[in-house]
Amino acid sequence: MTTKPNKGAGVSRYLRLYSVLSQALADGRFDTAQPMPSEPQLMKDYAVSRSTVRRALARLEAEGRIVRRRGSGTYARRGSEPDTAPEHSPMLVGTAGLPAGTTSRTIAFEHVTTPGFLQSERPAFGDTTLLIRQIRYLQRKPVVLASAYLPQEVGARLARRHLDAKAGAILPLLATLGYRSSSLEREFAAQPADPLAANSLGLAIGAPVLNVRAVARDPRGRILAYINFSYRPDRYEARTSIEVRDSSRYPTGKRS
Amino acid sequence: MASKTRSRRSRPSPRRENRLASRRLDKGVARYYRLYELLSAALQDGTIGPESALPSEPQLCAQHELSRTTVRRALGRLEREGRIVRRRGSGTYARPQRAVPRLCFELSALPESLAALASCTTTTVLQFNPAPVPAPLRALAAELGSTAYLLERLRCSQGEPLSLTRTYLPEAIGLNIRRPIPSRASVMMMLDRLGPPTAMVSCSVGAIPADAAAARVLEVPLGSPLLRVRAILVDDARRLRAVLESLCRSDRLQLKMTEQPQEAAGG
Repeated sequence: MTTKPNKGAGVSRYLRLYSVLSQALADGRFDTAQPMPSEPQLMKDYAVSRSTVRRALARLEAEGRIVRRRGSGTYARRGSEPDTAPEHSPMLVGTAGLPAGTTSRTIAFEHVTTPGFLQSERPAFGDTTLLIRQIRYLQRKPVVLASAYLPQEVGARLARRHLDAKAGAILPLLATLGYRSSSLEREFAAQPADPLAANSLGLAIGAPVLNVRAVARDPRGRILAYINFSYRPDRYEARTSIEVRDSSRYPTGKRS
Repeated sequence: MASKTRSRRSRPSPRRENRLASRRLDKGVARYYRLYELLSAALQDGTIGPESALPSEPQLCAQHELSRTTVRRALGRLEREGRIVRRRGSGTYARPQRAVPRLCFELSALPESLAALASCTTTTVLQFNPAPVPAPLRALAAELGSTAYLLERLRCSQGEPLSLTRTYLPEAIGLNIRRPIPSRASVMMMLDRLGPPTAMVSCSVGAIPADAAAARVLEVPLGSPLLRVRAILVDDARRLRAVLESLCRSDRLQLKMTEQPQEAAGG
């Protein structure tokens, strides 16, 4: 077992407090008519110094997300919530899910040696792989950085110019070339933004991103693409509805 | 692309996106930490494969315009985490990583995955009482009203915290919940023993920084990334059963969703 001493080190306290308050504002947790917790209260809740609290509040104030009234307190500003992208989890599998105003920019399109993690997890990939990196925008604001790895056979059919179609969404594009996905496995994780994701999405390094690793397969079970998405969490949430099949089948369930 | 000269000029070139240039956004992020995250990502995605050499310290200094001390701090942290080895006189190498076993939760197979999670984890009740419903959850399910029964539980696996779940139950349901609250059963399992079974769950999955309360009980630093799963449980008449918000540690819980796209199923 490896030790991970002090995983929070490297990001200053004020930036972490800023990020937490910023999330609370985005969630609408502070009523605009009621003052937010006072400086001493924040110091106590977060075990930080006065100057740390002040730096975090000053940054939120500079961004116009709070107002500080002398003698009265700090208030959330209406409309301080950032724009969230409408639901578009089907963006992975169909163009119908891509909201109007979606654009993309391809920042890499190259044949690379299959990275080790793919070789070990998915031996079907072979020695070389087509890597496509794209940033997708909604109303010109970055939403996601996608790094897609395509097996050589699939990648060979794709040219860079194809990416201008369908706002660059890889899976719908592959479908037009005859590679239709019939299943999609996604794995979700919350991770700190690495420099590439941070620069692409306009976030601080280390800020939370929603990481989604997706594997698309054709009807015969062959892998069509492995895509690593880093979403800006204030602009995207994955949504789904699950029908619960016969819930009387809990192994330990004693229904009375 | 040649026709887009104007817009291209305003955009950073692909190469620059990987640079550790000082940005206003990174105020408050230590320089060494920026390099640490850069190397960390390269190790994770295989850009630096197992057993291969990392650039030398002088190379890293020159490439990223960083001091030797800063470069050493970044490498030192990776070394302490067991992700690289530094061999005297030879260089720094990526260490092959053993996959850390994590609990897996498949969202698309709900009753089964809840039962599996219940069988290998336990929970501690942090509170169970009437409480105001936070605005974002009220917006998801107006039927809940402004006050509901709040059940807050911490789920652990072998003593290690996994997730913090706050469930808001309509009053009529909350009043009927028998105490003590079982230490393993999921909320859905508990509710299904009381009345009409849950027929549909609408979920959203996002990422948030850990606030003070979550950071404390989940034992992570303030502001660490956590997965946030919100779910609305309804019965087959679409009546609300519960609204819940679960904050999960990604390093301990693997959340998956498998879909069969309808287009393919129909075609």
